[in-house]
Amino acid sequence: MEEIRSRQGKKPGALMRYLIPAVFLLILINAVTVKFYPTRQPRRIEIQTLKDLAELATIEYDVKKIIKAKDVRWYGDRKILIETAAVLKAGIDLGELSKQDILINGDAITINLPQPRLLQLDMKPRDMREIFNDSGTLRQDFSNEEKDQLLIQGQEDIKNRIAEMGILKRAAQNTKLLLESWIKQTGFREVNIVFKITQPAGDRDQPAGDRSQPAGVRGSQDAQRR
Amino acid sequence: MKKTRLLLTILLALAIGLLIYTPLARFHLLPDLGSLFTSKPPRIEETPVIIEHIKSIAQLFTQSYYDECIFDTGTILTSFFQSDKRLIIIARGVVIAGFDLSRIDANSLSLRGKSISVTLPPPRILDVIVNPSGYETFLAQGDITFQERIDAQEKAKKMIEVNALKKGILQNSGEQGARIMEKFFQLLGFEQIQVRIAKELF
Repeated sequence: MEEIRSRQGKKPGALMRYLIPAVFLLILINAVTVKFYPTRQPRRIEIQTLKDLAELATIEYDVKKIIKAKDVRWYGDRKILIETAAVLKAGIDLGELSKQDILINGDAITINLPQPRLLQLDMKPRDMREIFNDSGTLRQDFSNEEKDQLLIQGQEDIKNRIAEMGILKRAAQNTKLLLESWIKQTGFREVNIVFKITQPAGDRDQPAGDRSQPAGVRGSQDAQRR
Repeated sequence: MKKTRLLLTILLALAIGLLIYTPLARFHLLPDLGSLFTSKPPRIEETPVIIEHIKSIAQLFTQSYYDECIFDTGTILTSFFQSDKRLIIIARGVVIAGFDLSRIDANSLSLRGKSISVTLPPPRILDVIVNPSGYETFLAQGDITFQERIDAQEKAKKMIEVNALKKGILQNSGEQGARIMEKFFQLLGFEQIQVRIAKELF
């Protein structure tokens, strides 16, 4: 009997001996993670910047997209429909053109142009229209922040579908026609325009397409130069 | 006594559980505790992108201006039964200036041997782009309508355009346009290049 009592008596003491350091250790881990892994990243500082460009846009697409979202919960639904429109412009970057890309042979000229890419995606607020916005009795309407998020998703969706629209192919055709006509006016009789084979054009659409996104400190060097 | 002990044990277990969960959530190994009690942000459904119009253009973009501005509607007084409204948005966007080269014709070019003279149309603001990802709602007090949002966003865009003009975007655009043309015709083999910029006729 005495042995049993002594075993029962030892148990809480042993538990506390390990538990207290363990709790302290966990508190320490929490303190370290809170200190060194903040959940919010500090905001980048953006400045007003002017930047030189040398882009030739040769095609413009006007597109329309309906943004549709449903938020279904057991205590009520929310539904919204927004009509949006965007203007897409594609063309080439003349800044990439160098001496090596041009071959002149008498009155014949061959120009190696960079691949066309999406230069602009512009979703104008004035072309947006809220068609339907309804929520159940127990639900709140879509907030301004939620509408912002839905519109951003719509913008991303348009950008992701560039390849399906054939805009880059048309940009290449138009650029070729435009430059041929200009160069023929300068006295060349035979104008041969080809596009350099580089990485797939679709991949290059992403960074340049949405200019309103702060791409770091855009053109800071140009601003400094001035 | 037993009940108190049980309660204390449960509380201790919960506290330990929380202490283990929090760092794991912070390292994104487990979902954030707050997200377990809030609904997920809504996702848009699949809808097509409809091409409405295709147009051939010839625009030379020569200058861009990036800016960020804050637009505040101020307090908008409403009827007695409604709360007053106020909307503050932050807009980040870009202004593009350049030339409409579709206005260039045979008369714009003048050739003499290895010399060329080009007359460009006056530079102008071609686009002011502030996409949805460029807008941030900082404050939305009261029942702000969709149209009121749109109006505020359009006004913020206008502010960015005015700032670009103040910074001399058109002058820089003209200078850069001349540089591009000089370089282009140099590459075509011309030795003397003169670029003129026409003045806007008003």
